[in-house]
Amino acid sequence: MSDPSRRGVLRLSAGTALLGTLALAGCGRGDTATATAKATAKPIDDRPATGTVNVWAAQGDADVLDKVIKPFKAANPDVTVKFTLIPNSEYYTKLQAAIAAGKGPDVAQFFPESQAQFLDPSILRPVPDGLVDSGAFFKSLWDAGLVKDVAYTVPWYAYTYALVYRADLARKAGVEAPTTWAEMVPFFKALKSAGAVHGLGADNGWDIFNGQDVAMYAWQAGGNLLSSSGSWTLDTPEMVDALKYNASFFTSGSADTATPTFLDAQPYFVSGRTATMITGPWVLGQLDTAAKKTGWTAAHVATAPLPAGASGSVSFSAGGTWGVLADSGNTEASWKFVRHVAKPSTQVAQYSAYGSLPAVISAWDAPAVKKQPLLDAFLTQLKNTKALPQVGTWQQVATRLGKETETVAKGTQTAEKAAASIQAYAKSLGTGAE
Amino acid sequence: MTTTLVPGARRRARNSRRTAVAWLFLAPFAVVFLLYTAVPTVAALGFSLTDLRGSDLRHPLAVDFTGLDNYLRLFQDPTFLRDILNTGVFVAVGVPSTMVIGFALAVALNSGIRRLRGVFRTVFFAPVVTNVVAVALIWQYAFNAGGTVNKALGYIGLAGPNWLDDPHLAMPVVILLGVWRNFGTAMVLFLAGLQAVPEDVYEAAALDGAGRWRQLRHITLPLLLPTTLMVSVLLTVFYLQVFDEPYLLTDGGPLGSTESVSLYTYHQFGSGQLGMSSAASFVMLLLVLLVSVVQFRLLRPRT
Repeated sequence: MSDPSRRGVLRLSAGTALLGTLALAGCGRGDTATATAKATAKPIDDRPATGTVNVWAAQGDADVLDKVIKPFKAANPDVTVKFTLIPNSEYYTKLQAAIAAGKGPDVAQFFPESQAQFLDPSILRPVPDGLVDSGAFFKSLWDAGLVKDVAYTVPWYAYTYALVYRADLARKAGVEAPTTWAEMVPFFKALKSAGAVHGLGADNGWDIFNGQDVAMYAWQAGGNLLSSSGSWTLDTPEMVDALKYNASFFTSGSADTATPTFLDAQPYFVSGRTATMITGPWVLGQLDTAAKKTGWTAAHVATAPLPAGASGSVSFSAGGTWGVLADSGNTEASWKFVRHVAKPSTQVAQYSAYGSLPAVISAWDAPAVKKQPLLDAFLTQLKNTKALPQVGTWQQVATRLGKETETVAKGTQTAEKAAASIQAYAKSLGTGAE
Repeated sequence: MTTTLVPGARRRARNSRRTAVAWLFLAPFAVVFLLYTAVPTVAALGFSLTDLRGSDLRHPLAVDFTGLDNYLRLFQDPTFLRDILNTGVFVAVGVPSTMVIGFALAVALNSGIRRLRGVFRTVFFAPVVTNVVAVALIWQYAFNAGGTVNKALGYIGLAGPNWLDDPHLAMPVVILLGVWRNFGTAMVLFLAGLQAVPEDVYEAAALDGAGRWRQLRHITLPLLLPTTLMVSVLLTVFYLQVFDEPYLLTDGGPLGSTESVSLYTYHQFGSGQLGMSSAASFVMLLLVLLVSVVQFRLLRPRT
């Protein structure tokens, strides 16, 4: 699975990362530059790659990449791939500093949920036509790299959120996983009646991650975070519904505003103090460890796609992507490397080595991935995801949205006022593209 | 051929050589100070009078001069006013608590437990030199809902709260970390002050029949006034600027109950509001200046 500590590390470093984004937030995206960039993206041939390719990636999923790409090295004996792995919390800061100084790598890894500030022809090269089949990836992951119809990144691994719940308690209570918003609280109450202390273990960091959760609920309610003209639309009735829906978990007593924090999430779930999590697939690989018993997860846990709001069951897409830097001196070999990493067989090898779920849909048919029934809900959900706003200020807005969410969940502000407040804040920030 | 200088001219030449040497030694500091303190301070003052935002960094000269607008907006922002109040609580509770604990330990180390003084001094000073990030992570874990503190409370039959997620309990925990990190500094300074008090003053007082309490009240405390002033100013400045503890433990939450002025400045900066952030940092500077001047006036030894 994905780096187990990633969420925690990201939480601690969110503030630092925000500062890092500022330096590039002001990049203007001139139409001329975009058109020129698109026109200069030449097709990449099939001849063996040569020279050196410097690759920067964040520690975690990339730790095993050197081994995973052995077939690429074997097929391209004249190429040298040099990896530089940087701690997750410092990754964007170091990358931005290097890009600003003109000393960036040839290829860099990005996170689709927070890569917007890099999608600019002065920073990244457009993906050459025909390098990969854009339709082979989960749509929202591909879309996360698009600006004005120009693709700057190629997806690598994928994750999204789904319901992870205690199947044993659900069986005892005689309930099925909820499929709509209205069924959520009754489901939590049923799990409580079967012995759980709380039906839902809701994260209470009240930060960027909570902001992302509420953004997802706003989509489920039929809302959009940005208008078609690219300005913030966060004070909509759908956002109010989303804030109320999230608050209902707490006001109904299904979740506790005071617990668990991220350190407690899995031990609480295993011990039955909470019975559901809205979380990513990496959790599945960690529950046996938390339970100190092999096979505990298979016997006690089930997964389901997120319950649908008025507009269906939508989640956000996240994971990893690759881009080739505008300053790269070896773009041919760089794109050949990216093309190799995007191949289904490489992505399956990456899953086997680290548990990174493939961003190429066909790779999910490989036996290694398919034999994991708990992943089915995540696959279903990944097919129904949206990309978080691809604008430079999204991280700040999401962080503030998390804080406003707290005030509604704790009853110190109405959902309407919180929505108005976040809209005013987002409007004052703009989108970074003005 | 040798040049003969008259005595006055020789002295002047020697003086100017000395001045040049002095400047040579001062130059590295002066350059660093200019580059990293003076220039950014002046720049920040300038930024505080503009509407500079993160997205303007690529073309900072295009920003609008807005005069005192940012300062006016600050004092109309309920969040900022709340953060000034929070910072006041940090100072009002943190400074006296740290001083009392530091002073009590210094007196204890200076008198009763002389043989183990080195060990105790090390033990009590350890929090000062320990990495705050590591410490904060441990504290965060300890004060978690299922953390060590609540486990300990569980042994005596009490159900502990989630300290860091309760708006009324988070502040005491954050202050506690501040006190724990700083009482060692106060202790060492007080200990140095105590050791500078001549023994014969105490002997003379004892001969005159003064007990321990009277000695403390009439000799130790008055003679320690300069040390007390220094410790109180140092701690006040620290707590006025408190950042690490709330940032690492709660990031200003829950519901903003532990957000200090420094953290407000940082959050504004992180949100791209560079003009507001600079203005807030200058308000903090004025606050520190004001409080320090008042302290010097109130506590300076009267001759």
